[in-house]
Amino acid sequence: MQIGDIKRHAELSFEVAQAKRNALEKMHSRQLLAYNGRLFRADAATINLVSTLKQTNKDFYILDCNQNPCHVEDPDGFLRALIDRNQETLNQYHQLHVELAKKGS
Amino acid sequence: MDIGVLMYCFDTDEVAYHGLAERCVSQVKTHLGLHVTIVTNRQTMARFKQMDGVEFRVVEHRPGNFRPYRGKVLAWHNRERVLAYEHSPYETTILMDCDYFVFSDRLLELSKTEFDVLLHDRVHDITGKNLIAGRNEGVIPLVWATVVLFRKTPNAETVFAMIRHVAENYNHYRHLYRIKYNNYRNDYAFAIALHQLGLGDFIPSPMPMSAVDVDVLDSDSEGVCFRHRGSIYHTNGQDVHIMDKEWCNG
Repeated sequence: MQIGDIKRHAELSFEVAQAKRNALEKMHSRQLLAYNGRLFRADAATINLVSTLKQTNKDFYILDCNQNPCHVEDPDGFLRALIDRNQETLNQYHQLHVELAKKGS
Repeated sequence: MDIGVLMYCFDTDEVAYHGLAERCVSQVKTHLGLHVTIVTNRQTMARFKQMDGVEFRVVEHRPGNFRPYRGKVLAWHNRERVLAYEHSPYETTILMDCDYFVFSDRLLELSKTEFDVLLHDRVHDITGKNLIAGRNEGVIPLVWATVVLFRKTPNAETVFAMIRHVAENYNHYRHLYRIKYNNYRNDYAFAIALHQLGLGDFIPSPMPMSAVDVDVLDSDSEGVCFRHRGSIYHTNGQDVHIMDKEWCNG
């Protein structure tokens, strides 16, 4: 393989990797969810926390992204909103991931 | 008015900022659907095209500041921004630089939360080459005043009073925090004020941004296409702060 080909492969793999990083940042940004005046990430940790707490409490308090307390009075509604946003963003990221995999191959 | 976007825009001899502001307003209308107020001077206002849902507030800018840009030193009229609390007609304000381009409704989501002042304290370099975050530029964690959400609350009023105080005594605070640049930057004035008061919340996701030497080639409704050292990239559905000041002006 010529040095020119190696450079082109390196550039392509860097561009694909960077496109993934940008898409991941976009996903994280889109996962920010406003609830009851507070800001949460619709990520696995928040979903797991809410899902666990709602098994034993009808309402409860958790900390938001800026360490502010939030009273969760409707755990079912909150969990639904978190899962919807989480899956919406992951679905978008998955589609891009598939496209990038084709580009990189 | 409940919520709107406040923007500062002053053309200089070298940069036609009004071209950036027109594009910025168009993106705000498309993705946020909010009313916009532009604070500007008479000379710049005369250059704007007619835009619906935009109100102008005319002030006289304070000259004397400068910025390095692509090997040159350019005039920079950025000192009026400290008066945003007084200039804003909105209960909830999205204070935005005219080189910040909105391609999502993310700021509306953030505006639904409780805060006095909300802004970015991290950036994401969209080229992935780590061209932006400076090292050893001062002894204070930098915040980014590019996009700042604030409400008309006593805490926010105090923050802006402190920012004005820092701006008026910038040389003192610049030395106190060992900031190596001797021009005035709102980012540092905001960072110092928030540090002094211990107030303010941060946007949990970093601000996507392109560095000064990244050329923007074009944009459409979904994102921007840009080039850096022979590589071409694009963004999609991501708000982005663009340092290339010439792309909207051909």
